[in-house]
Amino acid sequence: MTELDTVIHAPARLRVVSTLAALSAGEEITFAKLQKLLDMTAGNLSTHLRKLEDAGYVRQTKEFAGRRPVTYLALTSDGRRAFEDYTTTLQDLLRGAGS
Amino acid sequence: MSTESESSPDRPLDPAATLDLIAQSQRRARAGTEPDGRLLCLVWGVAWLVGYTALWWSARALGGAPDALAFALFGALLGTAVVITIVHALRRTAGTRGPERRAGARWGTAWPMAFLVFPVVMAGLGRADASGEVVGLVSNALACVIIGVMYLTGGALFDDTGLYVLGVWILLTGGAATLAGMPATYLVMATVGGGGFLAITLVWHVLLVRRRREGGVPS
Repeated sequence: MTELDTVIHAPARLRVVSTLAALSAGEEITFAKLQKLLDMTAGNLSTHLRKLEDAGYVRQTKEFAGRRPVTYLALTSDGRRAFEDYTTTLQDLLRGAGS
Repeated sequence: MSTESESSPDRPLDPAATLDLIAQSQRRARAGTEPDGRLLCLVWGVAWLVGYTALWWSARALGGAPDALAFALFGALLGTAVVITIVHALRRTAGTRGPERRAGARWGTAWPMAFLVFPVVMAGLGRADASGEVVGLVSNALACVIIGVMYLTGGALFDDTGLYVLGVWILLTGGAATLAGMPATYLVMATVGGGGFLAITLVWHVLLVRRRREGGVPS
């Protein structure tokens, strides 16, 4: 069977990466907005983001908006490429299964 | 709600279901971060259809310019549409940043800049002794030119075909409304302009639903 990226393949992380990939390259989203879009707990999302960051797929930027800390998140170019490879592999598998 | 337990990479592979999960996540992401053109089109369609019909009705009944009540209703409808547009766009784009958001913000601020000049041009025409009929026709035409060109630039900026088509339609509406003369100009603005907004809303919605049924291609 074709190898799939196990970092992305876990459903929760796949949802995180798919959501970040829906933003244009160069766009960033706050942790709070991403959490709302994914309907995940903060702890759960943090755990998955850490794994994605360790793999070099996600970049986190911590800043202050006034006195309030804000974390911005985005896919790295490696993360975007890994996601594209992942979806291409899935589409190939689907085409293979249908033929 | 997602949990750690569902994150096992050893789950059985179902490519179709996984691609569907990706498409669903991306639809939700776009719906949560980008303004919904259909909603805005619907709001402006209703505002134009009702507002310009009121102006036409009043102008026809009085045999001249529409009365203050018709203009008040028209103003209230446009004002409501402006507020809904701003609130919706700000809520959707909050919590994101980047070059595309900056471009969107600049495009958004171009609208009030263009319409800030609008009453000055109208006042200039009045000072040059333009008749009420000329001022009325030019105000509709100028509004259509500003809105049409803004939609064309928006369509180009965001690679949005629906917005681009809308721009072409509003420009054509402005031309037709001016040629129609008074008071038919208001009827053209209501039916061709407002009706056009509503027709494009419907087509936009049908195309989107059909694309979803066929399965969104992940990007």
